[in-house]
This record gives sequence, structure tokens and C-alpha cells, in this order.
Amino acid sequence: MGKQQKYPVGAEHYKLFEEIGCGASATVYRAICIPSQETVAVKVLDFEKEKSDVCKIVHEAQTMTLIDHPNLLKAHCSFVADHYLWVVMPFMSAGSCLHIMKSAFPDGLEEKVIATILREVLRGLENIHQHGDIHRDVKAGNIMVDSHGAVKLGDFGVSASLFDAGNRLHGRKTFVGTPCWMAPEVLLQDDDYDFKADIWSFGITALELAHGHAPFSTLSPMKAIVKTIQSAAPGLDYVAGKKFSNSFNQVIAKCLQKDPHNRPSAKELLKHSFFKKARSSEYVACTLLKRLPTLGDGAKELQIREATIVQKKMSDMKKEEIAPYKQGISAWKFDVADLKAQASQLPDDEESIARKDQVECSVTSESERELSCCIGDTVTENAPQNGEEQHNLVEKGEIAIVQQRGRFKVSTEIGH
Amino acid sequence: MKSLFKSKPKTPAELVRLTRELLIFVDTDSTTKGTKRDEKMAELSKLIRDLKCVLYGNGESEPLVEACVQLTQEFFKQNTLRLIIVCLPKLNLETRKDATQVVANLQRQQVQSRLIASDYLESNKDLMDILITGYENMDLALHYGAMLRECIRHQIIARYVLESEHMKKFFGYIQLPNFDIASDASATFKELLTRHKSTVAEFLTKNYDWFFAEYNKNLLESTNYIIRRQSVKLLGDMLLDRSNSPVMMKYVCSKDNLRILMNLLRESSKNIPLEAFHVFKLFAANQNKPPEIVSILVANRSKLLRFFSEFKLDKEDEQFEADKAQVIKEIVALEPKDRS
Repeated sequence: MGKQQKYPVGAEHYKLFEEIGCGASATVYRAICIPSQETVAVKVLDFEKEKSDVCKIVHEAQTMTLIDHPNLLKAHCSFVADHYLWVVMPFMSAGSCLHIMKSAFPDGLEEKVIATILREVLRGLENIHQHGDIHRDVKAGNIMVDSHGAVKLGDFGVSASLFDAGNRLHGRKTFVGTPCWMAPEVLLQDDDYDFKADIWSFGITALELAHGHAPFSTLSPMKAIVKTIQSAAPGLDYVAGKKFSNSFNQVIAKCLQKDPHNRPSAKELLKHSFFKKARSSEYVACTLLKRLPTLGDGAKELQIREATIVQKKMSDMKKEEIAPYKQGISAWKFDVADLKAQASQLPDDEESIARKDQVECSVTSESERELSCCIGDTVTENAPQNGEEQHNLVEKGEIAIVQQRGRFKVSTEIGH
Repeated sequence: MKSLFKSKPKTPAELVRLTRELLIFVDTDSTTKGTKRDEKMAELSKLIRDLKCVLYGNGESEPLVEACVQLTQEFFKQNTLRLIIVCLPKLNLETRKDATQVVANLQRQQVQSRLIASDYLESNKDLMDILITGYENMDLALHYGAMLRECIRHQIIARYVLESEHMKKFFGYIQLPNFDIASDASATFKELLTRHKSTVAEFLTKNYDWFFAEYNKNLLESTNYIIRRQSVKLLGDMLLDRSNSPVMMKYVCSKDNLRILMNLLRESSKNIPLEAFHVFKLFAANQNKPPEIVSILVANRSKLLRFFSEFKLDKEDEQFEADKAQVIKEIVALEPKDRS
């Protein structure tokens, strides 16, 4: 490890502040890298969480580390702290396009800004597709803007590789993404899908930026799915006072074709005349960011207050973590010489079980051990399935003893 | 994109030859500087991307078998693989990624139903040394790591790595603080120890003592959560494999091993105890338990029984329940050896 790392690995080098984003499997915090005093974003993923799949997490961390494109959010580094993974990323101070619209442009953005943002996103997508990856979650909520107006596509949490280590796969067959933005072929699941699924989501995102919300976003996820599959592809609404150009309409229509083969690739789409309207990142900064409450100053007071809350929350999480463990099984006995001496005092005292038995039971699940792709496995949340007896019994402690006595009896009969 | 090569179409073999020429230039020339060199580097990047398009298709079209064959043949006719590996540090990040995908793909290309990559590597085994020590360089680790994992698909190459001094280094690489690199080393380590059954069995038998000493100390007893979780899972995979049963029998006769597994069993994690159980059950099921194993199990009998009464899965799993019932039965029936 020759050179000095600009972003050191280890939780002790970062100070977490307020939460700035929260996904299904991770929370993102604003943070300071202590040695350099640079503001960064730290994504914290819980390995113990339901559905945390170590293989996918590794893929995401590696993909993000290897990113070298101005329109893709990269990871500076990642490291393990307790049972969490910390991913250090650039801090995008203006937040996501969704965030920007929510706070200052509830009815959508103007066309020139949209063209600029979409061009940047397409450049990012072109690079992802070039390397055989599919993003699978293109939406305004994943398009980040920094204080200079630079636009980056982020969140590779669900991205998939079509080039599975050396082999070109024919497509993916998993149901991942956010329903409103998902392509019909992804929703239908009866066809393998590829890069073109991202192009559909890109088209929906274009509508989202124009209107301030995605089509069908007011519907329930189930209804949105049905609409996407059954209805005609959505297009631009004509709201009084808002006009969109023909070329913008064309781009959306090209992307939102139900047959994925008819959709253009990111590379082809970039050549469309609509993107001649695109401006510079300064333009984005001027038009979008000046209307935003400046994250840096106004929120400072709030941040400091929240910072202490966050740090406290983190340490509380750790405490909870340890609690059941301490109450559960106290240390095993391993001193063999000592053990032999104690062995003569058997059988065990069952009373001690009765007293200690008020313990939360942590339940683990792993469906197909043989099938699981690597070390990581699906974990599901606690659900007592103690067999028939448990439903009727109030005291957990009693069951344990009953069960154990029963077993003990049976075995002693066999044993002697 | 209607055609792969817009201006003057080059055959796959030509692409390889041009790439090789430029790689030799990059490798040996140190006098050319400035724009001249930049131009050459840009040309090389484009060529490597073109090679990738031939092998993987370009999003619109699937790769053509005949083109892949031509490319592969020309590639291994001379030292192109060596050149690409040696020159990788001089390429930019995007080109490194392309080169890695090219090298990975070539390991699976068959020419007249032969994996000629395997033949090439067999006579160039020192390339493995470069790839493995790549884990020590942050900028190259993920590229060399991905190439390495593809190369050890060839049994003869996996054997070379297993028998080399490099195996000891993996324990260090897996403990590197950068998650992306450490988990890459971990994936390669797993592949080495699970892919080619007979070779693995031979390795584990010959190297039992030092290997499991290192494994216990550095991985199972690591302070790093993810190392413990991944290593106890891998241990289960290794020991439960039929081809490793003599190794398994030896492993479950050691009280030190039992102590480590019992400690993993009582961790607060959801995942680690479950994986530990799949190994612990082997200690309990062993019909020839040494006295020291029996002593530990007997001394902890009440705690173990209480633990297992609460140890459950969310979903019904008949196999798990059966295993657990068996373990409980074994523990209940134990008699301390020195009393009987």
C-alpha cells in the first residue's frame, strides 16, 4: 500500500453528521473526513439487515471504487466497522433532483435545465452500459447535484452486471427497481432484460423532471405496475403556462417504447437534437441552486443538533446489539482440567435454566444453503415459530423446561 | 452503431496484432513523450475496447463465434497476455477495466474444443505471481484480482497457486482494511478452496496444520465481523464437502476448534451463529469424539440445550430442524468418558 490514502479507511477518521438519505438497506450521512476536514457523504449499510446480500454489496463497492466518470458518483473508499459497511463518497450538497424539485420546483423544471441534466445522466449511463452494467434504478431521486451544478448518477445499490466475470449473460431476470420507473419487460418478468430497461427508466425520469413527479406516482405500486404494462406509454402533460418542445417529446417517445429493441441506446440518444439545448453546469447551478435554501449555512444549527443525535443513535445501536448476547449464554466453559472436576457434579442444574430463560430469541433463516451464491445470505426478521406448543403457553421459560425435560427423559431411558 | 469498425474494418487477428505492437511500445519505449505518446495510448485504449466488443458483443449484437476463435488464437500465439498484464499499470482506469474483461473472457474461449488459455498459462505460471501480489497495490488489486479468479478456473493453475507460497499471503490480503480489495481477495480464496475438489482435498490434507492454524487465528477469530462471517461459511462449505471428509474428521477432533466454533455460536449476529451451527453439528455428530471434546460438551450441556431450544429459523426448514434434533440428542446422551 505504497501511497498515502487521501481518504483513510477506518470509522475513527470520519465524523458523522445529519442523515441526508435513507434507502432500503442503507442510510447516508453527511460527514467530515477528519484529517483533511473535507465534507463527504458516508453510506452506512447493515450487513445484519434483512436481505443484505454480501455478494451484491461487494459488487456495488467494487463498481463504485472503479468509477472514473464525471457523471457517476464514485466511492472514495469503503471499510467495515462493526457489522456495518461504510462507503465514503463525494458530498453532493444540493441533494437529488427529487429533493430539489420538492423544495423549490414542485411543478417540475424548465426544459433547458432538464436537457442539461438528462445529457449528463445519459453520459453516465453510456459509461455504465459500456462496462456491461445495468443501473436498474434511474430516477430523479438518484440524480445528484453538487454546489457547482455538476450532475452525477448515484446509488448502484441494485445495479447488476451483464458481464458476469467473463461471460456475457443474455439478460437479467430479477425484479429490482422502483415500480413507477420500471420498464414493462422488467415488470412482466417473462423476458430477460438488458441495458434498454435503463432507457425506459430514463424516459420516465424525463417526465418526472418535467412535471415534478413520475407518471402513475400517485397510484399504489400495484396499480402503477398494471398501468405500465397495460396502458399506452405516458407522455408530457400540457399544463397551462408550460410548453415543451417537439424534440423533448420525441426523446420521451423514443425511450418509452414497450418493445425494448426499439428504444435507442444511451450512445444513440446522446446524438438527438434535443440535447443541443443542454447548457453548462454553471447554468444548472445558477437556475436551480439559487432558489434552494443553502444547505451549507442555514441548516448548520440544525446539523449540529442532529449530529449529536446521530452519534448517539449509532452508539445506541451498538448497545442494543450487545444486550441480548449478554443476557443469553454466558461464556462457555473450556478449561478441560476444570471441566473434568466439574463433570462429576453432573447432571446439570435445570433450575438455572428456568431463571435465565427470559431471553429474546434471535432467529435466523437461510433457505437454500447449497444454492446461496457466496458467503452472504438472505436473512429474515425474527418470527417466533416455536412449533405447536408455544401458541398456548404464556411463559416462554416454561416451554423450554418442558421440552428439555421431555428430551432428557427419553434420552436417559435410551442411555441406560 | 451499424458496424463495429466504421472506417476500415479490421479482422479480429489484426486487432490483436496491432494491440500487441502498441503494448510492446508502451512496455519498452521510454523516450517518446508528450502528444506522440498520448496518441499511441489513445489508440491502444481504442483497440482494447474493440477487442472487448468482439468478445462480448456491443449491446446490439451478440458476439460471433468465429471472430472470437480468431481473436483467441492470435492472442495466445504470442505473449499478448503477458504484455497486457505487465503494461496494465500504464493504462488508464477505463482501459484497465476493458483489459480485465478481455482477459477474463479469454479464459473461457475454446479453440477446437480446447481452452488454449490454460495451455498458455501452464507454461507462464509466473504470471500468477504478478496477479496475486497485485493485492498489495491498491490501484491494481481489483483488476488483477478479477483476472486471477478467472485464471484459477483452470485446475492446473489453481493447483499451482495452492501449492505456492502465495497461499499464506491470502490471510494478510483478506485482512486489508479496504473492503473492496479484502473482499476480492476473499472471493479468490474461496474459489481456490472450493472449485477443484480433488486438488483442494490434496492441499488441505498436506497443509492441514499450518493452514487451519492460520485460518482459526486470522479469520475465524478476527475482530472484523465480515471476515468471521465469510470464513465460518467457507469453513462449512469445505468441511461438508464429501471429498474433504478425512480433513473434516481431523478438524472435529480438536478442542481448540470446538472452542472457536462455540464462541461463534453465541455471537449476537443472526448470520454467524447459523453458519457456525453447520460446523458445530459435525463435532456433535462425530461418533468417535475424543474425551476432551466430550468433556467440553458435557460441561456445557445445560447451556447448549438451552441455547438450541431457542435457536430457530424464520421459515420452516426440515433439514435444519432435523440437524438440530440430532445435535440435541447427541449432547443429551453424552456421558463423561472418565466416569464410564
